[in-house]
Amino acid sequence: MRALAAVTIPSCGQLHGSVMKEAYLGPYSKSSIFSRVPSRRRHRSQSHVLLSQRRPNQSPKGGDDDDVLDDLLNSYGKVVYKRADQNPSSVEADDDSESLFFAVTLAKVANDVKAADIRVLFVKPLVYWTRFFIIATAFSHPQIDAVGTRIRDIAEKQFRKFAIGDMKPDSWTLLDFGDVVVHIFLPQERAFYNLEEFYGNATPIELSFDSPPSQN
Amino acid sequence: MIQPQTLLNVADNSGARKLMCIRILGTGNHRYAHIGDVIVAVIKEAVPNMSIERSEIIRALIVRTRQELKRDNGMIIRYDDNAAVIIDKAGKPKGTRIFGAIVRELRQFKFTKIISLAPEVL
Repeated sequence: MRALAAVTIPSCGQLHGSVMKEAYLGPYSKSSIFSRVPSRRRHRSQSHVLLSQRRPNQSPKGGDDDDVLDDLLNSYGKVVYKRADQNPSSVEADDDSESLFFAVTLAKVANDVKAADIRVLFVKPLVYWTRFFIIATAFSHPQIDAVGTRIRDIAEKQFRKFAIGDMKPDSWTLLDFGDVVVHIFLPQERAFYNLEEFYGNATPIELSFDSPPSQN
Repeated sequence: MIQPQTLLNVADNSGARKLMCIRILGTGNHRYAHIGDVIVAVIKEAVPNMSIERSEIIRALIVRTRQELKRDNGMIIRYDDNAAVIIDKAGKPKGTRIFGAIVRELRQFKFTKIISLAPEVL
């Protein structure tokens, strides 16, 4: 199973202007990384750039690669390619602390409704699509409903955040607030899916109320 | 471009290996299903001694297609195979882990549970 990512651009000139400004291609000519798809599949007035294509005159020897890299580092510094949509680290830290406050508040709310074995995991280093996971156990469907409703109410009133995800309580109810994702399980479902093991490398966040683990 | 009679791989550890699409759900009279669509499928091949058996009729969510998925920013994602994940009526996965890379568009279709179990999200 292999995924192929390609970028479709309106014209080559635009690529030269926007993307090429920050991406250095070294001794390889621009045309060597361009690959035209067959004409029957090509959209009118569009060309495709295959990002995963190997450069043709790349040497198999490691030493030559190192020399090329050394030349690049000498002439362009350490950053060869920089994404334009990345925030500065201070903004990232602010967002992290804001999300942490939100996640801890939601965990406290879940604790108030007697959800058990609450874990808050900092998963941002592992997955890019969210920052925090809250995993909690409830012991019946009405309790899952109560936890979900209370969390949703607090998020809407205090933080103006709205959850997408399950509206009906299920044995695994998920509330997706963007940066924070809340999982509420029945005990047997929690053991079955075992999300904590899957995200075992995530950093656990210490909670002040520190609920004791459930006996089930 | 998944249509009835299309064979798909199974991208989870539920025990099924191959599925055959028999109906596309929620698209009205549309001919093809794409990534994020739910289909009704029959299991054509399964691992022995698992909870799921051959010729069982199940629902599945399409997670990979050979047909390109186009994003607004111009990115195109194309896989080598057609693959699906077995789910129940509530959208809960039957298996506990997903195999291979899946796309983040599934989150917009409210399949965040599938995304949470996946090892890589594109």
